[in-house]
Amino acid sequence: MRESTLQRINYAMILAIFVTLAVHLATHAFLGVSGYEDSLTYASVVGRYRAFSTVLTLGVLLIAACFHGLYGLRNILLETRWGARRHRLVSTATRLLGVAMVGWGLRTIVLTTWGV
Amino acid sequence: MDPSVVATEKTRLPRRGRPILWAFQRPLHLERLALLAQRVSGVAILVYLFFHIFVTGTVTEGRGVWESTMGALSNPLMHLGEWLVVVAATFHAVNGIRVMLLELTPLVGKPARPDYPYEAKSLGKGQRSVLYVAMLMTSLAGLAGVVILWGL
Repeated sequence: MRESTLQRINYAMILAIFVTLAVHLATHAFLGVSGYEDSLTYASVVGRYRAFSTVLTLGVLLIAACFHGLYGLRNILLETRWGARRHRLVSTATRLLGVAMVGWGLRTIVLTTWGV
Repeated sequence: MDPSVVATEKTRLPRRGRPILWAFQRPLHLERLALLAQRVSGVAILVYLFFHIFVTGTVTEGRGVWESTMGALSNPLMHLGEWLVVVAATFHAVNGIRVMLLELTPLVGKPARPDYPYEAKSLGKGQRSVLYVAMLMTSLAGLAGVVILWGL
C-alpha cells in the first residue's frame, strides 16, 4: 500500500480515536457508573460488553488505536535507519503485532459479549 | 529523474544521527522537544495499550480471575503508571492536533526565501500557542488525575 494511503487511513483512525476514546473514558467516569472504581467491578464490565453501543465503540477504538500506535512505531523505527530490508522487516513485525493485538482484543469482545 | 537520487534496494543509505540526542541540539527549539515528547509519549501509550488489551482479556476467564487481576493491579505503583498514561495521552492528543494543523492547514506558513537569521516560517506564533495549550492541558490533566486516583 502507498505511504500516502496509509497516512490518510492514519488521519481517519485519529478521528475515530478522538470520538471513541472520549466515550470509553466517559463509561469509566460517569456514564452509567458512579465512578472509576465502580466501573472496574466484574458486573459493570460484563454489563458494558452486553450493550451493542459499547461493543461497537470498543471494537472501533481497538482497531483505530492499534493501527495508529503501530503505524507511529513503524515510522519511528524506519527513521532511525534506512534500507529496503529493514523496511520489510519493520513493516512485517508491526503488522504481525497488530494482528495479535486486534485478534486478542476481538476475542475478548466476542467471548464476553456472547459467552462467559 | 537523476538515477543517483533514486534509492534502489542495494543502496546503503547513511545512518541518521543518534536517536534521542537530536532533540537537544543547539539552538534548542521548543518544537523539537515537543516532537521528542510526542514520540516518547506515543511509545509509552502503545506499551500501555499492549498490556491493557491482555489484562482486559482476563474478563473472559470469569469473575474470580478478573477480581484477582484487579486486586493485583490496585497498588500505588500501578496508580502512578495510570497517572503517567493520562498525562502522556493528554499531551499526545493536543500536540497531535497541532501537528495535524501544521500538516493540513495554512498554519504552517507561506514558503519564503531563507534570509538571515534563518527563522523557520513553519515555527510561527499560531502553532506555538497550540503547543502552550498542550502544555497547559497536560498540567490540568495531571492535576485532575491526582484528584481522581488519590482523592486529594
